[in-house]
Amino acid sequence: MINRYAWYLASAWLLLLAGCAGVSTQPSTTAATAGAAPSGAQQSGEGAIIKAVPKSAMSENKAVIALLDRAQIDNESGQREAAGSSLERALRIEPRNPWLWLELAQVRLAQGQYAQAITLAGKSNSFSARQPLVQAENWQVIGQARVAQGDSAGAEQAFKLAAEFAQQAKADADRNSGFNFQ
Amino acid sequence: MMLPSSFWKKSHSNFKLPGRAVRLVALLLLLGSSGYVLYLDITIRDAFEGRKFALPARVYGRALEVYPGLKLAREQFVGEFKSIGYHENPQPDEPATYKNTLNGMEFTTRDFVFGDGVQPAQRLRIEFADGKVSLLQVRGSNDVDMPLLRMEPPLIGGIYPGHNEDRELVRIGQVPKQLIDALIATEDRKFYTHWGIDPRGIARALYKTVTGQRIEGGSTLTQQLVKNFFLTSERTLTRKANEVLMALLLEMHYSKDEILETYLNEIFLGQDANRAIHGFGLASYFYFDHPLGRLEPQEIATLVGMVKGPTVYDPRKHPELALKRRNVVLQVMVSQNVITQAQFLAARREPLGVVQRAPAGTSPYPAFLQFVHRQLERDYREEDLRSEGLRIFTTLDPIVQHQAEEALASRLAAIEKARKFAANTLEGAVVVSSTQTGEIQAMVGGRDARYAGYNRAIDAQRPIGSLVKPIVYLTALEDPHRYTLITPLDDTPLVWSQPGTTDWKPQNYDHQFHGQVQLRTALAHSYNVSTARLGIELGVEHILGKLPLYGIERRPPPFASSLLGAFGLSPVEVAQLYQTFADGGFRTPLRGIRAIVTAEGKPLQRYPLNVEPVAAPAPVYLLTTALQGVVREGTAQSLSNWLPAEMNVAGKTGTTDDLRDSWFAGYTGDRVAVVWVGSDDYKTTGLTGASGAMTVWGEMMKNIQPEPLEPAMPENIEMVNVDPVSGLRYDAGCKAGVLLPFIKGSAPAESSHCGASSADRSGTKPEAKPGTEKKNWFQRLFD
Repeated sequence: MINRYAWYLASAWLLLLAGCAGVSTQPSTTAATAGAAPSGAQQSGEGAIIKAVPKSAMSENKAVIALLDRAQIDNESGQREAAGSSLERALRIEPRNPWLWLELAQVRLAQGQYAQAITLAGKSNSFSARQPLVQAENWQVIGQARVAQGDSAGAEQAFKLAAEFAQQAKADADRNSGFNFQ
Repeated sequence: MMLPSSFWKKSHSNFKLPGRAVRLVALLLLLGSSGYVLYLDITIRDAFEGRKFALPARVYGRALEVYPGLKLAREQFVGEFKSIGYHENPQPDEPATYKNTLNGMEFTTRDFVFGDGVQPAQRLRIEFADGKVSLLQVRGSNDVDMPLLRMEPPLIGGIYPGHNEDRELVRIGQVPKQLIDALIATEDRKFYTHWGIDPRGIARALYKTVTGQRIEGGSTLTQQLVKNFFLTSERTLTRKANEVLMALLLEMHYSKDEILETYLNEIFLGQDANRAIHGFGLASYFYFDHPLGRLEPQEIATLVGMVKGPTVYDPRKHPELALKRRNVVLQVMVSQNVITQAQFLAARREPLGVVQRAPAGTSPYPAFLQFVHRQLERDYREEDLRSEGLRIFTTLDPIVQHQAEEALASRLAAIEKARKFAANTLEGAVVVSSTQTGEIQAMVGGRDARYAGYNRAIDAQRPIGSLVKPIVYLTALEDPHRYTLITPLDDTPLVWSQPGTTDWKPQNYDHQFHGQVQLRTALAHSYNVSTARLGIELGVEHILGKLPLYGIERRPPPFASSLLGAFGLSPVEVAQLYQTFADGGFRTPLRGIRAIVTAEGKPLQRYPLNVEPVAAPAPVYLLTTALQGVVREGTAQSLSNWLPAEMNVAGKTGTTDDLRDSWFAGYTGDRVAVVWVGSDDYKTTGLTGASGAMTVWGEMMKNIQPEPLEPAMPENIEMVNVDPVSGLRYDAGCKAGVLLPFIKGSAPAESSHCGASSADRSGTKPEAKPGTEKKNWFQRLFD
């Protein structure tokens, strides 16, 4: 048990060090699976299915995608404030886009603002009915934030949910052959 | 430091003074005057050093984000151009110019330093179709589609140093040589050779004064600068003498270029309502709307001509005088070889070319600016705000603001006319914010929106009446075992005794009692008695204790009457309260500022989006449904005169005793807005929430064209078809039923045949299905 929490902590720490915890979804999903692989997601064996989500699936609005790209570049270079600012611009255009709230949650997580990260992921969840892929990501963020807060039971529960939603997303993807999640 | 007295002594050392006594007197005088000169020296250097860098904080509105698909009409875009000072030009390739095309415009933006870096000028094309942006392109040899353009934000005000002085600081290298040459040719030809004063000029001035002619100038640029530091209209010999001494002192301490640079930034060049225009940098924008570097010879001549008398030669107020003066300066310029004969002839033919712009004063949006200023005062020292040249990026949306101002002014005038009130008896206030980000988009502090005085939006605390009721109902709906939208409430006479107050006997607005009414109906029709009973059942303290959760710091008196809103809040506080309902239980503090950047463009502070979960999404969803009922079939039904039913607006009217306050608070898919209408002296206005404030709200929202309200349905909500009267469950297909949301497990279990509705059953309390285990709502959120 303790060993597993050590893993959680270690993976969260690695994510922070690598500065890629908040990377926008394309790399962040890979980051989440790579960095957080030893966490709950991998243990239940489902995390690996979340790979790259094409930006076109996150928004139909090219302006929003342009801002997501920009946020991603800023975030990768450690410019969290700038990344947050681009995401807020995107949210003014699409305030109900769960991917944008998720991205912002990831930036806050990378900034060490764990309570905000959890709330923003929760807010993303409130807009992501029938979108298990986003929900899986959100629970991943919540889990990592809880690890950092020292709430290991809560984190475990979150990672479990992340895995469930990931599985659901995979099932959806399998059903819908036109949409390939790999 | 070089002693100023040594200089003084030197200029007097050649006098031969006879006699000891005389020498003693002379020495004393010398010492005395040395002291005085020292005093002047300190004064003038303080002024010089101090003035050099006093830059006001500049406050910008939101930057319009333009992208294909954006709801934006061509006229609105032209309005945006105007607010950021673009002008029409058949060749729109210079920054800040545009030209109309068949379906849109071609234009060129300016360089602009945002909080996240420089955005360079771009040559662009935009087209519109069906009230939307249909095309956005970068113009070039190959036109390229552009996903997003952030326009420069409009300047909406400043926080100014001293006597509302405004300036645009320029370095001497940025000032065109032509301007400097013209200035020196016109005002002070020996500037580079004299030591601060022009003895011949002074002699001439002295002669004219002594011979009883008028006291006049003969001032060098240095003297003019000194005069500008201590602006008074006083014209005495003493003052003149001080001016001469200080000019000499300045020249001793500073180089010609330093003096000239300060002069160029300091000289007073006009008045814009209560804002003083200082320096050529700002004057160039103020009169011609472009930077110094792009001034034409005739424009330079106009500005240089104004130095002699900025009021007399104001090109907006006295165009003929200004034109005459300009041509005099042009004449000087050609005679001193500042311009060629050909340039002179061309320049003379040009009109003044001043941009016509209504004086904006300190800000066209004083209420919002005051709100921003108060927020800034919490984080910054006042002197820094007034002198560090901070750039403050705010959330104000001039398009929304304009609609709010218009709606308030026009509706209040219409109401006064219809009800035969004396003109201007009614006052009002409006606050509009964005639902998801909590950004304040518009704030109107009174019907005269330009008046920078009493700001009712933040300073008027008026009883909120029924606007408080959603808190009572939300508290009830948070307990789905006891309360659903169709739970019957008791609307029969109530007498409430509480120590410390007289007995309280709440009445309904129609002075009737309605027996058993469904919870949603009680809220829709804003029944006071059933609400009071419900609130007392839930606990007065318990309900009022929730206010801080929703961002209301004020504590109302702990009496049951507070449940009906017998306490005051400001419109902006009410907006904060409703923001949480509109945003599904997430509280976002209302914000007026996005970011602050230093004068050099370095990010100083961001005010990021901050979200706090304070109410469970499911009960808030139910509350929103009930508040939509207020608009669909309750006290706010007549909102349909302004907005179509498909908008699904959620809102609440508020009316206080003797019709003193008329409120409406409501939300659409993207905006939360609150309107208050009343009179400043608490007199009755005869207006209910629906006949006063709601009409302003409707008029405003109609013109803003909001998004319809479609709240995200939480996962623990199910839609159930019920008999609207009895509240019994119908089959999903039954057309006689009404589809209502229930928190899972709380919908009525007992069913009825389709259409079997009967009024006599309305009193029966539908059975709630028990069984869901009690959990903290936040835990349930993540279930």
